[in-house]
Amino acid sequence: MKAAGKTAVRLRADEFRLLRWGLGAALSVLGAATVLYMEIEAPVLMTLAFAAALATALFPALPARVPRLVHPLAFPVIVMLFAADLWRGGELLPAVVRLGLLLLIYRNLSYRKRRDDLQVILLGLFLIIVAGVLTVSLTFAAHLLVYAAVALALLLVITLGEAAEAAAPSEPVGETPAWARSADWGALRRRLSAVADWRAVGLGAALFAGLVGLSALLFLAIPRFQFENSMFIERLVSRKARSGFAETIQLGQVSEIQLDSSVALSVDVADQARIPAMPYWRMLVLDDYAAGVFRQSPALRGQFRGERSAAFLPGASPRETEETEIWTFYLEAGVSRYLPLTGPFGGLRFRETVTFRHAPGPSLVALRDEPVAMMAYRVEAPGHGPLLLDPDFAARWAAREPGVSRGTPLYTRLALREPDREALRKAAADITGGATLAAPEFARRAGEWLRRRHAYSLSPSIPRGDVDPVVGWLVSDGAGHCELFAGSLVLLARSMGLPARVVTGFRGGSWNAYSNNFTVRNSEAHAWAEIFDESAGGWRRADPLQPDVAAQGAGAAGPAAAMARVDRSWTARLDSLRVFWYRRIVSFDDRAQAEALRTMKEAARDSSRWLVDRLSAWADSARRWLSGPWDARRWGAGVGTLGAAVFIGWILVTGRWRWRAGGVRRPDPVRREAGRWMAALRRAAGGEVSSWRVAADLERLRFGAPATWPDPGRTFTEARRAVRAARRARPVTPRT
Amino acid sequence: MAMAADRDPIAAVLPNGREVVSGWAGTGGEEKRAPFTWNALLWSMVCPRRGHRLLPTVSGTLLIAVAFGIGAAAYNSSNNILFITLSLLLSCLLFSGLLSWLNLRRVLWRLRVTGPLRAGHDAVVAAELRNGRRFLPAYGLWLDFSARPVDDEAKGAESTFTARAADIRAALAAAERGERRARLPLADRVAPQGNAAAEWIVRPERRGRLRVELAGVASLFPFGFLRKDVGVGQRVEAVVWPAPVEYRRFAAPGAKRRGEGERERRAGGGSDLLALRRYAPGDSHRLVHWKASARSGALLVRQFAAESSEGCTLWIRTERELWREPARFELLVGFAATYAEDLFRQGRLRAVAIGREAPRPVRGVRDLEELLDRLALAAPSGESGGEATPDYRAGRGSVVVFAPEGPHGVAAFAEGIKVASA
Repeated sequence: MKAAGKTAVRLRADEFRLLRWGLGAALSVLGAATVLYMEIEAPVLMTLAFAAALATALFPALPARVPRLVHPLAFPVIVMLFAADLWRGGELLPAVVRLGLLLLIYRNLSYRKRRDDLQVILLGLFLIIVAGVLTVSLTFAAHLLVYAAVALALLLVITLGEAAEAAAPSEPVGETPAWARSADWGALRRRLSAVADWRAVGLGAALFAGLVGLSALLFLAIPRFQFENSMFIERLVSRKARSGFAETIQLGQVSEIQLDSSVALSVDVADQARIPAMPYWRMLVLDDYAAGVFRQSPALRGQFRGERSAAFLPGASPRETEETEIWTFYLEAGVSRYLPLTGPFGGLRFRETVTFRHAPGPSLVALRDEPVAMMAYRVEAPGHGPLLLDPDFAARWAAREPGVSRGTPLYTRLALREPDREALRKAAADITGGATLAAPEFARRAGEWLRRRHAYSLSPSIPRGDVDPVVGWLVSDGAGHCELFAGSLVLLARSMGLPARVVTGFRGGSWNAYSNNFTVRNSEAHAWAEIFDESAGGWRRADPLQPDVAAQGAGAAGPAAAMARVDRSWTARLDSLRVFWYRRIVSFDDRAQAEALRTMKEAARDSSRWLVDRLSAWADSARRWLSGPWDARRWGAGVGTLGAAVFIGWILVTGRWRWRAGGVRRPDPVRREAGRWMAALRRAAGGEVSSWRVAADLERLRFGAPATWPDPGRTFTEARRAVRAARRARPVTPRT
Repeated sequence: MAMAADRDPIAAVLPNGREVVSGWAGTGGEEKRAPFTWNALLWSMVCPRRGHRLLPTVSGTLLIAVAFGIGAAAYNSSNNILFITLSLLLSCLLFSGLLSWLNLRRVLWRLRVTGPLRAGHDAVVAAELRNGRRFLPAYGLWLDFSARPVDDEAKGAESTFTARAADIRAALAAAERGERRARLPLADRVAPQGNAAAEWIVRPERRGRLRVELAGVASLFPFGFLRKDVGVGQRVEAVVWPAPVEYRRFAAPGAKRRGEGERERRAGGGSDLLALRRYAPGDSHRLVHWKASARSGALLVRQFAAESSEGCTLWIRTERELWREPARFELLVGFAATYAEDLFRQGRLRAVAIGREAPRPVRGVRDLEELLDRLALAAPSGESGGEATPDYRAGRGSVVVFAPEGPHGVAAFAEGIKVASA
């Protein structure tokens, strides 16, 4: 084989092979790295996969040291490990992920052929897709892009290297291949930089950008149908949400969540002024308390309606047909299976069919399974007032018989010993002064009383002993967290015969100035109380940690409050990417597709109109300018403009031709020198130089390919002699 | 791949001027292209040009299967993660097709068969490629070669409707038997505006005409998902000389000193100057006539006359009644060709006649090559007898004739004396 064109550095077969090996190892690392954010128990296998890939990449001769017996036994052993894993764990997806990791490890411990490289690509792709589906995180997008680039590079190297490898001698089976013995990454790097052609590199980068662009276009254009099926892969893995937002909470579990500052919830709202100054995001209602543990009573659980699979849940609030306010919630994975809501709602729409239970009274929605990935849902006509109307409970409360409980929760039960009850009564009397107070007033006074006696702290000081922890803290003067404050308020209210319950969720949030959405972090986890207001017929929010009672209301955020919660930090920038991902990619559906196409059409139409208008305006101004009186200044401007246009055109044309010819090059000094000697010889010989042997060498130096050049120094010396000889008009040396 | 050391030593002494070269053709030739229309583009996707194919490879089929699976899962779950992956896979496939098309765009090729071709010896078949693009190199090209003998008696195409299946199979098997195929990669890229060549070493089995074809140019570029095939169908026909034959030599034919006053007008290794001729590559520098070269401005070399009138004429009779067995006729042809070459090297070959034709003088290599060409295509003739043979002795030394010997052999006789046998 020979290349008769330009001579250039080419990679050899062993270099292609080493490059393939390295890219395969990189793909293995990328594939195994998915475990980092997939939250599947496989840290040991992941570490082993990293180690195997990196070690064999750095020392490609290592796989030859693996005993030969390992290779025939590898697959049976891997299959047995998979079966054992499946039998032990009982979950298919984690077992399959671990199987993929085992295969990746083995593929790095043996020399890969073409089909093995394809297997590595497929394994990595599988792991990335599983990770993407399970987490729906932005990391997936970055991961997939990097993985696609490396995988395509590997496939390209395989394609280009096949020709070179076909010409290379075959490697003996069972021995260390020659390319592995002589592997030198430094030398390969130098060769690659020598081979790299700016056109090829630029073209490759442009093509990859084009590939990503084309993918985006296809993503927009692929027709969507809503079959209303749920994603099967989510059922193959289970995950536990935070214990702070479960049906049973021990004291301190909500406060533990506050130590995490990651995003828990992002809310898309058309106008941030619609969000209250201090929004409360309700998730769970806990009505039963005993010995420092809050839980849902069986009666409250009974208020949940039967399990239902649907993509839409009609709510209790009236839904307006036009200008219905819609908030889109993006709940991060691992928060809870109870959806954060601000109160009653007109409707709840999911991205896909989900299985859930709904309790209209306490306005709670619980999914059957913990969402393993980000959960997106739209709330239509969300209510966010401090009062949650509950006509059913109001009717029950009105028809109650004092001292009689008939199974329905009345939220007045106190599972306390008598000394604790006595302590509660004393505290309540201290708060009310012996008067009977309505629920709002009692909540206000109790909150003041608690704040007066206790400081807020995430490290509470709870008295030890035989006393109930909440009552003991209540009568002490130690600092406490939100659960103690809320629990104390609930117990105080119940001791006064007022129905009360603990609510957990989030309070507050910030407005992301970059993505224009409301962000709630785990650090904003909170517990507060709800006390039944008989006169209003509903549950009134009572947050003992919020001194401003008005702020607990539904009042819209004023300009000052809105400005105060605007977040422009770097974290907000990163969060905005995540929200973009959720808004534009993850939540992209047929409606969004139609909207995007309509937007694109309108943008194209508007831009063409704008262009036509601008051109018309320029034409009009040019026409007016031309129709004006032509004085010397106007002539000068006209001629100057024309000259500039001609000059620019000339630059463009000549620049184009120079670019076509391979760019503007500085003349080579050897070529210039050869040209000078040619001219000198031509002058000395009277124009005829063909009889001079050195003339051919000078011509080659002047115009020939550098690879074919004779020694320039010797040629110039001969040229000097020839010029002298020609000047002395000596007999001409015949050309041989 | 071509290696100089592998070449036939006998062929190496012959001049390298016997090349058969096809014209340039390709996807970017000078032919006038039809103006671009969307209809034409869409139609070309449905019904591509003859020989142009785009087929998925194993990895491409795998990619399509994976895309189908992910697409099914995406539509069943409305999961945008899967839609993203599906988009990426589909765009990879689309890009692969686009780059594959781009890679073979404006690529020209031609076929060059470097002679001489000799049965049983390696010959070089080269496919030369030229990249007509200004900026983009062409990568990862594969070339499909084939070579098959061409029968002299061109048989008319028989209808497969009327022919028996067994006959068709036999005919196809016979056609396949003598055919050689190869698929060779082009290890290097073809630089923009650059050339490259791939060489195929083919070993013809028998003498006669050989049809060498560059059947196709293919590319797996860029990712190996799709194989773009362009049916080239460039053919050249070359003549394969008979294979050299081992023979025994018993005596030198035509050994005769030149008489007094007898002039010899043929080139040889004597000391008398015969003529001046232009310098040819390979001539010794000692033969250069410097003065004449200086006068004429071109290199001239001396040519000397032969010292003796030694020599003979070969008469190769091809009558079918004499050579009834085809194997013996093949032996005759090979033997005659080898013997003629040997005599030529020794400067003893004066003329050759095949069958009833008049003897043709062999003055130089060109005459010898012409003889070998005719021997390559020689077939048993229906004519009979040597009664009407011309006078071979007229100034051309002794006559060497070939005759069957023994059950399978062939012998050469000069003046009734056996001089060689094979």
